[in-house]
Amino acid sequence: MKNDRKRTFLLITIPILALFVCFNTIPLIRGVVYSFTNFRGFGKYDWVGFRNYMDLFTDARVGKSYWFTIKLAVVTTIVVNVLSLILALGLNSKIRAKGFFRGAYFLPNILGSLVVGYIFNYFFTYIIPALADMTGIKSLSTSILSSPSKAWIGVMIVCAWQAIAMNTIIYISGLQTVPEDVYEAGGLDGATGWKQFKHLTFPLIIPFFSINMVLSVKNFLMVFDQIVALTKGGPSQSTESISYLIYNNGVSGGQFGFQSANAVVFFIVIVIISVAQMKFSSSKEEQL
Amino acid sequence: MKGKKAKCAGLALCCTAAAFSLAGCGSNADDGKIQIEIVQYKPEAANYFETVEEAFNATHDNIHLTISSPNDAMTILKTRFIREDYPDIIGIGGDINYSYFVDAEILTDISDYEGLKNINSGYLDIAESLELVPTDGTYIVPYVANAAGVLYNRDMFAEHNWEIPETWDEMLQLCEAIKAEGILPFYFGFKDTWTCLAPWNAMAVELAPADTAKQVNRGETTFTDQYRELAEKYMQLLPYGPDDPFAYGYNDACTAFARGESAMYPIGSYATPQILSVNPDLNIDSFVMPASNVKEDRTLNSGIDLGFCIMDGCENKEAAYEVLDFLLADENLQKYIDDQNAVPCKNGEFKLASMLDGMLSFIEEGNMTDYQDHYYPSEMSVDALLQTFLIEKDVDNFLEIFDTNWQRYNRDIIRMVQDYEQSH
Amino acid sequence: MKHTSTIGKSNKTVMILLILGLSTIIFPLYMTIVIAFKQPSEMTNSISGILSLPKTWSLDNFREAMRVTDFWRSLGNSLLISVTTIVLSVAIHSLMGYALGRNKAKSKFYSFVYLFIVSGMFVPFAILMMPLAKQTAELHLANWAGVIILYVVFYMPMNVMLYSGYLVNIPIALEEAARVDGASTWRTYWSIIFPIMGPMHATVAVITALAVWNDVMTPLIIMAGSGQNTLPLAQLNFQSQFGTNYNLAFASYLLSLIPILIFYLICQKQILNGVTNGAVK
Repeated sequence: MKNDRKRTFLLITIPILALFVCFNTIPLIRGVVYSFTNFRGFGKYDWVGFRNYMDLFTDARVGKSYWFTIKLAVVTTIVVNVLSLILALGLNSKIRAKGFFRGAYFLPNILGSLVVGYIFNYFFTYIIPALADMTGIKSLSTSILSSPSKAWIGVMIVCAWQAIAMNTIIYISGLQTVPEDVYEAGGLDGATGWKQFKHLTFPLIIPFFSINMVLSVKNFLMVFDQIVALTKGGPSQSTESISYLIYNNGVSGGQFGFQSANAVVFFIVIVIISVAQMKFSSSKEEQL
Repeated sequence: MKGKKAKCAGLALCCTAAAFSLAGCGSNADDGKIQIEIVQYKPEAANYFETVEEAFNATHDNIHLTISSPNDAMTILKTRFIREDYPDIIGIGGDINYSYFVDAEILTDISDYEGLKNINSGYLDIAESLELVPTDGTYIVPYVANAAGVLYNRDMFAEHNWEIPETWDEMLQLCEAIKAEGILPFYFGFKDTWTCLAPWNAMAVELAPADTAKQVNRGETTFTDQYRELAEKYMQLLPYGPDDPFAYGYNDACTAFARGESAMYPIGSYATPQILSVNPDLNIDSFVMPASNVKEDRTLNSGIDLGFCIMDGCENKEAAYEVLDFLLADENLQKYIDDQNAVPCKNGEFKLASMLDGMLSFIEEGNMTDYQDHYYPSEMSVDALLQTFLIEKDVDNFLEIFDTNWQRYNRDIIRMVQDYEQSH
Repeated sequence: MKHTSTIGKSNKTVMILLILGLSTIIFPLYMTIVIAFKQPSEMTNSISGILSLPKTWSLDNFREAMRVTDFWRSLGNSLLISVTTIVLSVAIHSLMGYALGRNKAKSKFYSFVYLFIVSGMFVPFAILMMPLAKQTAELHLANWAGVIILYVVFYMPMNVMLYSGYLVNIPIALEEAARVDGASTWRTYWSIIFPIMGPMHATVAVITALAVWNDVMTPLIIMAGSGQNTLPLAQLNFQSQFGTNYNLAFASYLLSLIPILIFYLICQKQILNGVTNGAVK
């Protein structure tokens, strides 16, 4: 019987792993090979050894994009997780028109990025400055998207607006695993509100919290669509995310080799961050 | 039990296998005709190419033509190249991508094509100079060109008796006059960085040598030397635009100009369909942007907007030439011109759109110079550098960055050019 | 069902907050709908102009948008790809999540495979693009089937992570009981574990559907030149560098939003059903 269990697990794992290797690992290795060339994406190319990697560390534009991306990812992850956890608790409580609310709060995630880009551009360019003029708030009277120092806030708002839906769904399904009687027992002990959340609910949904943290960090580090829709990297290259730079210069432009090197380094950076994150949260899980 | 386990193992493989067996669908039926496939990069002209495709197939029994006009055609082309799935003919613009394609030796030499004799030699020269290092062959049939300068609101100009400027000083005087009437002279959509290149190109044709980039590659000059006046003059235009030009995109600027919020809009003729969609009654004309005080130095900023290249893998060159003949037939070309407000690259009597009136004399004289940005590698993002410059207004810094970035992004090309220079 | 009094009290505050938050969604939605009904000539840069109601509520934009995108065919392709991807994802990823989730704590091999697969999530797509375009063509998979396989691989890391996270809360005792009854692991999985993961299936289905439904890049590079379109691919027709027809585009995006919204609402019910089932047991 024990053998049956072992064999079954192997028979599940091996073929799926093979599929994964075939369409993820192998192309990745091919991409890594390109990172040692000056390949433009087509035609002939030469081997350039580690030149692309050396260049990476002296390229101010790459450095700038790392700074922007990391800043965006950290802030957005915090904002999104706080808001979506609150939202999930709200949507999971006993309220009227639950279906309606859940449907409505899901909408931002499915609006096409062309629509989102247009509407938020309009919002930042025309509506906010008009409101600021009316209320006399000087600092908002010009579009934040036209200011190299403030444009990232605009990107952050749109990323958060779109991402909250997905994180909320994950939190809601996490909340489903919390048995009703936990609350009832807690209610008898006098645990209410914040106390109930902190001592009863939150510990039980920690696996979902860590999944959401990892997913958020990953999604925002790899932010691309929102950049294309909102700023296209501007103004003055202040919102070029790493993924945007890799795509724009590697695929649309003729720097496929160099940007492959960028992608390889970026991949390693995210893996390190995420593994550290997972290690951290699994040690937390064990503590509780 | 065993069977179930097999199912488990097979499940993941199943989808792969199913996919393999389905993979065969989609290949076209072969009915003995020669198949010619064109992929062209201007989705806005998709309707025109659909009618051409139909007309061609209706009149040709031996050749079957397919034209696709996908969006993001460059990505599609590049992915198809990497799969070695080459179309027979590609329709692309005369820019750095063309230079790269020639350099990658994926285009076929068409210097024996008869139709080239009817092409305006000015555009053939432009195509020639786009080659990174000179070659013996010809690789593109220029089809239509675009022109960039300044679009202006004809009715507004007539109402105020404003004259078309022919020198830089007149240009500035005009802007002052317009401003004095309480009207905004220019609209800019600098949030979309590529629009920063429009006034830049339009003034560069007069202020910098057409082959500046090539001279730099040969190590004969620097951008700092060639572009200083250009950069300084560009800055002088800024006060005549909206307060915060970096807040508005191309679309905002088109809408604003269409609604009469500004008298002029420095952009190419390609913007007119978008402008007219907002206000179909707007009376638009254009003029060549004067950038110096010598009237005679003015030249029209015009480049190959769409040209056709035959790919190296094309099996039947004769059939491809027949397709090109058909595309270049006067009545078809005229239809394209009407549809897209384009300028033909072919000699002959064509009727041009009214918003090109102000540029007509230049076109007829053949007084035109290619866009500077057709030589800039897109990954260098000169448009973004320009936007940064316009925000920071630091000429020296901008020119220095331009030169250092150029050396960095073009070093393989520069080495190639210098090798060529040494061996020739 | 019993309600504790504390939950009842906080209801009103929660409602008010939810309604306030809703305004951040209603406003963009209002703008989308209004623009979808307007003509290009009604577009302005003034706030009152853009927020005003369209002159006529005609469905012409929707009709034209459906024509331009060849709506029913593109929708068919999109549905085919999305539904197949979701079914395969739920089946394959839950199995993988189960195998890895149950073993990764005690086996070095499984814990390595888990990390290996999860780290696949962080590969920037741009580096895979060119090699994948080449590889799918070599395998004759430059079509929708190839797109589905790639999706199943791309979303595997995230979904495996979700499934094995969910398994933590499912007691292993359930399986042991079944084993005592003589059921094989394979059978136990399908008869006990798979149904119990219902809420997670719904979650995975929604998240995968979301990612697949609006994705442009994968079909763009894989299906390029195949003559087939998905909805997002067809919607690219509305925008080019020199001109975008926002009115038609918005109409089209509103249309393509409907199927996924319906799917989401169904899945939401599923998540709740799963809970009540669990509670009954």
